[in-house]
Amino acid sequence: MTQRVGKIGFLINPIAGMGGAVGLKGTDGLAGQALARGAKPQAPERAMACLHLLSREADGLLFLAASGEMGGRALSECDLHYQVVYDVPQDSSSQDTKAACHAFLEKGVDLILFCGGDGTARDVAGSVGKLPILGIPAGVKMHSGVFAISPQAAAQLALGFMRGELKARETEIVDVDEELYRAGELQTRLYAVACTPYQPVLVQERKRIYVSGNEEEFKDQIALFASEFMRDGSAYILGAGTTTARIAELLQVEKTLLGVDVVQNGKLIQKDASEKDLLALLDREKSVKIIVSPIGAQGFILGRGSQQISAAVLRNVGEENLIIVSTPHKLAELRQLLVDTGDELMDKILAKKRLVVTGYRIAQRKETVAASALHDI
Amino acid sequence: MKIKYLLDEEEIPKKWYNVAADMPTPLDPPLHPGTLKPLSASDMEMIFPKALIQQEMSTQRWIDIPEEVRDIYRLWRPTPLYRAAGLEKALQTPAKIYYKYEGVSPAGSHKPNTAVPQAYYNMKEGIERLATETGAGQWGSALSLATCLFGLQCTVYMVRSSFDSKPYRKSAMRVWGADCFASPSDKTNFGRKILAETPDTPGSLGIAISEAVEDAASHDNTNYALGSVLNHVLIHQSIEGLELKKQFDLADDYPDVMFGCCGGGSNFPGMVFPFIPDKMKDKKDLRMVACEPSACPTLTKGPFAYDFGDTAGMAPVIKMYTLGHDFIPPGIHAGGLRYHGDAPLLCNLVHDGLIEATALQQTEAFEAGTLFARTEGIIPAPEASHAIKPAIDEARRCKQTGEAKTIFISLSGHGHFDLAAYDAYNDGKLVDYEYPADLVKQSLAKLPKV
Repeated sequence: MTQRVGKIGFLINPIAGMGGAVGLKGTDGLAGQALARGAKPQAPERAMACLHLLSREADGLLFLAASGEMGGRALSECDLHYQVVYDVPQDSSSQDTKAACHAFLEKGVDLILFCGGDGTARDVAGSVGKLPILGIPAGVKMHSGVFAISPQAAAQLALGFMRGELKARETEIVDVDEELYRAGELQTRLYAVACTPYQPVLVQERKRIYVSGNEEEFKDQIALFASEFMRDGSAYILGAGTTTARIAELLQVEKTLLGVDVVQNGKLIQKDASEKDLLALLDREKSVKIIVSPIGAQGFILGRGSQQISAAVLRNVGEENLIIVSTPHKLAELRQLLVDTGDELMDKILAKKRLVVTGYRIAQRKETVAASALHDI
Repeated sequence: MKIKYLLDEEEIPKKWYNVAADMPTPLDPPLHPGTLKPLSASDMEMIFPKALIQQEMSTQRWIDIPEEVRDIYRLWRPTPLYRAAGLEKALQTPAKIYYKYEGVSPAGSHKPNTAVPQAYYNMKEGIERLATETGAGQWGSALSLATCLFGLQCTVYMVRSSFDSKPYRKSAMRVWGADCFASPSDKTNFGRKILAETPDTPGSLGIAISEAVEDAASHDNTNYALGSVLNHVLIHQSIEGLELKKQFDLADDYPDVMFGCCGGGSNFPGMVFPFIPDKMKDKKDLRMVACEPSACPTLTKGPFAYDFGDTAGMAPVIKMYTLGHDFIPPGIHAGGLRYHGDAPLLCNLVHDGLIEATALQQTEAFEAGTLFARTEGIIPAPEASHAIKPAIDEARRCKQTGEAKTIFISLSGHGHFDLAAYDAYNDGKLVDYEYPADLVKQSLAKLPKV
């Protein structure tokens, strides 16, 4: 009797996530610009983090892949059993993602495991109908529900699904219009419905933007409190999101909704800062603090949406100067806050019960967890 | 084991005790909110009767309780002192735990101890109506009861969120003949202004105070009444501690440590102030601990400074521990503990080190309240549960050390109007708040500079 062989279609969007650290809020059509700004490819490394875990229990798994940097190379480095079913030309594009997915579909794969961001998820989902897909998070924007919360969690979900222990559920593929996104307007659009392996906690909820009169009041309260404690002369790095935007609004400074800005003594001193800008700021300023809020229903405070606030920036600022703000509504829906700075040691330092400002002189404590640690749960 | 220590009606004290006579440091004067000059008696006459103003400014140690007031006190006083035998057994502690239960009053809490004399003095000076505010509803019910017994009218401005969430509190007020309005209301200029700006506001205690004060100031036949913070309120509440001393004599015991919940200050100071002279003389080891919520930790985290007594800045400016008059504490279920400041008399004694304070989360308070209900029977008010939890901790420490300490809990009221909050606790829906003290320190430039 031969063991049934499970087939996983595997692909990497090699340029995914490069725009984040250099302040581009997405890499679609901007890979060249991102490289010019000094961005380094991140997707292959994150894909390998997942594949290494998979390789320990890969008996009976066959990977069908796109060639070279779009998948084959990483699989080969991890000693996984694979076949190339799509040859990628010199300069890969989103067309190759779609073409590879068609090839996977023809070969009858059970699951497509891809590494990228929302743009990649759109391309994959648009090509495969109801075939289950699962994302290894590596993009700048990951609002879609098909992403595991970390590469390690993706490995666990993929294995669970292939062994028949986990079922798939329908989830939405959403993306932000990158043109509007760069202009500071958050417009998530529903692009497709996809199936994805599901285990509570390990898959990102589709990012939600909450609108309720009551919650707006709490944003105002948070902003008022922040405007008071921000009078201490420190430079404040304001992360992405609508709660931090409200603080800027009250201070009457222009906020990059999905970027990182720096405010000092009520004045904007750096708009849409990159990681490099922040490190330069830290060189010249004595007291720097960071204000971030959890992103939508995911609960990520670092590592999604505000990659400019990197592990290096955090090390310099000091975790005691990280201020988290959130409306109580948003906090109530989160089991925990998540961090994924890409630096295990920094994630460990950040992971504890952290104070979260939820109103005017009001706070709660919330467990903060390294996303990479969650696959053990 | 004897469980109840009861006094006869004739043993209801004939005088209240005024701790101002024994303060190591005298109080700094309250200031006029407009001029920031010391407040004069005539400033207060617009909203308070002369007899209460005299008490407010008095440093006389003993103040006579009018017979008419004692007659009404007879309805529920003296209140019982219990030995918490069931709780002791459950904790397997060598400590002796006592509690004095004020929930036997018709309104279910200690609040009538001052509502009754306040209504009496106003009646004596020809006032026909009292206006007041209420947050959780305990004070509003107590004043409704007291005015009803002296034939006065009563108008209660109840914070809208409580008005909607605690419907039976207002039903009780109605039975006692009071008018209870959701605040902000259309009855006052201030209420109408707030309603025009924010029609959906849940209201706040600060807004309700401003409405009641405006009502009193704009009607000749109407005065204002306050259920905590002020010196005369604490004088009236001393009746609790005076009875308690006699009851400990009956039990041939004396407390090592006393716990009481503390919002603005009325039940806790009332219970412990009569013990202050002992502490200053031969009972130096006696500990008196004010228990407050972590969400509103006035005594444990606030600076000792002059601040306004209300949100709108209309009430006198007083020296106290304060979280800032513009702080509206989060909606914890112990509504009676949500006040940004504390009684000046109490604050002075904390500042002088005679009284301690501790803060705790509401979830741990409800957990303790549930254990108390299951061992002693009485379902405590969430406020009172804030005193039970540290007392349980103390009894557990005694188990470790083998000490047979005498621990006292001030049980300010029952929780029969708070069962929805117990449901929330049992459903795991309570949120624990914390006061971001370091960030607030950074931002506390808002207190009026005096």
